[in-house]
Amino acid sequence: MTEEKLNELRQQDTNLRDAIWQDETGRPQMPADLNERLMQRVAAQKEKKPRRIIWPWIAAACVAGVLMIWLTPPKEAPTDVVAENKPKVEQPVMVDEPKAKEAESEALQPEETPIQVEKVKMPMSVPKHETKLLAQETPKVESPETPTTEEVHTDLAVAETAKPQPEPVMLTERDIPVTRPENYRYTPEELALMKKQANEAYLKWVELELEIAKQTMEQTALK
Amino acid sequence: MLERYGRAVFAQVARLVPSFEDAEEVYQDVFVKVFKNINMYDVEQSSLKTWVSHIAYNESISFLRHKTMPVIYYEDREGEAEKLSESEVEATFGHPNPETVQLIRAALKHLPPDERAIITMFYYEEMSLKEIAYVTESIPTTIASKLSRTRKKLCKIIKMLQS
Repeated sequence: MTEEKLNELRQQDTNLRDAIWQDETGRPQMPADLNERLMQRVAAQKEKKPRRIIWPWIAAACVAGVLMIWLTPPKEAPTDVVAENKPKVEQPVMVDEPKAKEAESEALQPEETPIQVEKVKMPMSVPKHETKLLAQETPKVESPETPTTEEVHTDLAVAETAKPQPEPVMLTERDIPVTRPENYRYTPEELALMKKQANEAYLKWVELELEIAKQTMEQTALK
Repeated sequence: MLERYGRAVFAQVARLVPSFEDAEEVYQDVFVKVFKNINMYDVEQSSLKTWVSHIAYNESISFLRHKTMPVIYYEDREGEAEKLSESEVEATFGHPNPETVQLIRAALKHLPPDERAIITMFYYEEMSLKEIAYVTESIPTTIASKLSRTRKKLCKIIKMLQS
């Protein structure tokens, strides 16, 4: 039905128009104070403190927190570098038995050289019976903090090729940190040195005993 | 604005919302919304009266939906009203008769709120189809067909009341 036709009908439908008209006029009128109440309500709403919207701040704080966690470098980073430098001390290295004996014999030679441990060149040999113990005590060395021997070797090789060769660092006994149980074990050189010193001490003790005996014999002879 | 459109808006709301107290509440809600969104009023789209009517209509329908009040009205499920001829409908509404007027008034109460609102906007407020379409968020052709259907429905209700 078109609008023109409907407009015509609007004029023609007198009964319907009258009915609606009567219906509308018969409705209860708007209360006189309704607008006044409305204005009071509007004024009351205006007076109300605008509620503080805090959820954007909470969301922003959450995002900032996540970003901080994301961007903060892991604490393990510096210790990783340290671990790369000294895994040789920590790792129980299996060395051939003849080599260990050779080192032992070298240490027993009379010329006294100060114990100078070269960081890279020092053979980390441990006697066979001790290596077993070490292996038992520290079986799981491949923790995420300490890389495996192969990784360390590769890392060191890469580092050595990349950087200019630094001068060999001379380590003394003081430099070896006694923080791990492996460091309580004596190296073959140390063992050899101790044996040598023990032998010397024993000889000196025997010499002293002989001296004392000689002295007492002379004293008794004089009496 | 309240003086100019207040009565018309209240009548429109009271037409849709049956309870007088609820109509007062909805009326206040309508004008609170009008004051809040007055910046959104577009002169080119509609007149201020139509825009306020649009808000009033939406508020009333929304109130009815949320209230879930039982509204009893006639529903022509079998399409019997559509079977009525146009001449029959014109005869019922066209010939002035006070008795028929009363019957129509009774029949209007059996219409659903939205149809009653449309027919009142057209016959009483004399709004154009375009304006009614704007108020009810519809299109003029839909309003035209709705008006035609409502006329026939009213006629059918009158016939039912007569019988």
